[in-house]
Amino acid sequence: MTNYATAAVDKSAVMRGLTSKTRVPLGSEIYNRILETLYDEAAALDERRFDDWVAMLHPELIYTAPIRLTRTGPNRDRDVVRTMKHFDDDYNSILMRTGRLGKSAWAEDPPSRCRRFVTNVRVAETETPDDYEVVSYLFVERSRGDNWVNERLTAERRDLWRFADGGYKLVRREIIVDQSTLSMSNFAIFF
Amino acid sequence: MLQKSRLVLRDGTTLDELIDVDMNEVSMRVMSDEELYAHEMERIFAKTWLLLAHETEIPNPGDFVMRDMAEDNVIVSRDRAGEIHVMLNVCPHRGMKVCLAEAGNAASHRCIYHGWAFKSDGSFLGAPVERERMHGDKRGKEELGLKKARVHVYGGLIFATWNYEGPTFEEFLGDTKFYFDQLFCRTDGGLEMLGPPQRFVLPCNWKIPGEQSGSDGFHTLTLHRSLMEGGIMGGTAESIYDNAPGMYGVDISCKQGHSLRCLEAALTFKMFSNMSFEGKTVDERLHMLPPPGITPELIPQLYKHLSPTQIEQLATCPPQVGGMFPNILFAFIFAPRTDGGASGALALHTYVPKGPNHVEFVNFIFAEKDAPEQVKRDMLQNSIQQTGTSGTIEQDDADTWPQIMRNARGVMGKGMTLKYQALTGHQKPEGWYGDGLIYPGFTKDDTQWNWWLAYRDLMSDA
Repeated sequence: MTNYATAAVDKSAVMRGLTSKTRVPLGSEIYNRILETLYDEAAALDERRFDDWVAMLHPELIYTAPIRLTRTGPNRDRDVVRTMKHFDDDYNSILMRTGRLGKSAWAEDPPSRCRRFVTNVRVAETETPDDYEVVSYLFVERSRGDNWVNERLTAERRDLWRFADGGYKLVRREIIVDQSTLSMSNFAIFF
Repeated sequence: MLQKSRLVLRDGTTLDELIDVDMNEVSMRVMSDEELYAHEMERIFAKTWLLLAHETEIPNPGDFVMRDMAEDNVIVSRDRAGEIHVMLNVCPHRGMKVCLAEAGNAASHRCIYHGWAFKSDGSFLGAPVERERMHGDKRGKEELGLKKARVHVYGGLIFATWNYEGPTFEEFLGDTKFYFDQLFCRTDGGLEMLGPPQRFVLPCNWKIPGEQSGSDGFHTLTLHRSLMEGGIMGGTAESIYDNAPGMYGVDISCKQGHSLRCLEAALTFKMFSNMSFEGKTVDERLHMLPPPGITPELIPQLYKHLSPTQIEQLATCPPQVGGMFPNILFAFIFAPRTDGGASGALALHTYVPKGPNHVEFVNFIFAEKDAPEQVKRDMLQNSIQQTGTSGTIEQDDADTWPQIMRNARGVMGKGMTLKYQALTGHQKPEGWYGDGLIYPGFTKDDTQWNWWLAYRDLMSDA
């Protein structure tokens, strides 16, 4: 494994969402369409319309959630650790997960009631036309059964959305959770 | 005959009333009782060997990781000479954490509160302004180091205990060492941890996942029904309860409470292939279906590290799931992929108590160090997709355990019992490979009951 004890400076582990400098301005047509897509995606997931969600995914999808690791000294800001992940998926494994949810997946049967709040959306152009870098904040409240205490998650999402077939498709998503020890009891829901 | 337990709670209830050895029942009160929890911390978690880390996490002098021995936070550190130390992360001066990072490298650890400093072996280095003697003169410097635990490294796994007089690690493993060697001590390079552990907290007592780690086979059929629906356990969704080849094998345990479920390789093989093991030699069988995590190029190494009997077992009936008492689960499982990538997932969990009502699930993911990079990559993905945070198998466990916990708090619920009455009884098959308590056939409750007997044993010993 990468030796996190003595690892040299690793710029990719620094928390910095947007890399492209070519911003797509707030209120522009592209920005609005992408924001609308993010809202539609959150609604599809909250309403457990998994077929609608999968239709928004590109077959080249890479979907990951690296762990966070508390570090001090020169590495204090390099706390996004990608050798270990909470999600490590592609299009086919996501299909496996959504397929399971339609059968005996007790983790979500009965289902959670979720609200996905998407904010702080920043969009930028990439070197590939039709590919957009989209960074957003995500706040999830998840209610299980008759439990009066919700589980919650805060994260930043670093996405790549591609305009294809008249809509935007998710090509890449990295979910950067804020907790090193999660207070959510499982990731049987998507972010 | 078992001797009567001496443990009596303040309200007069005895441990023997809570763990009924004649009926093989355990009162659900044990899952929520705070007094019992306090006893567990002293009699189990301060006394027995606990798994903390793996050597490959801290390869260089000064490397450290922060871990927990129940509610005691510790630093697992490699000193300048390469020796591994486990020390309490409590400054002997005023009680602050000496180390605040979950991993790092440091020649010394200096407390940020008053500045006392400690070497990577835990010994006291000094306090600021030496001439003013902040540490006084009542205690010598040799008394002012970090509190140290006793350490044992087994197959690269770093275990520690506060009990210097207690059993050696070999005594702790007992008869199951023969079997665990087949998982942890089988190749030249040994195992490699693929990244820092996944960690998450569940609202339930540590014993709810703990007793399941005593090789609960039955729950697979129902809770993990999606495995059958996915064809991973053999049979089909329609025939789950009648035809579940993945449930047959040999369960092994010992009086220390550890256990392993060994599954017939021939049956596993039939699930994935139409060929037969019939008439094949041990080596041919190993190549046809290498045990989880082993690649064909690693097979010759097995012969260097394991006895012919151990190898024969690996080729015939390899251990795949089980646990070590009190709070370790291992899953060294076949995880077939649809894209032809490497199958197999190697994961270890510890269930770390965080008060009577919470447990931290720590998921360590491995591959053989000398496996090809692409195999490691595939196996990491298999482990993440099947175990831990988002694992499709363990999502269901994580949602079930907290519900049991809520039940264990009701006045009536507390009085209900957990039942371990499907018992095979120890019966070693003719020609079986190793020692221990052996339970062949369809998986039953024997190993989990032995887990409770081990619990009873430690809890009775003040």
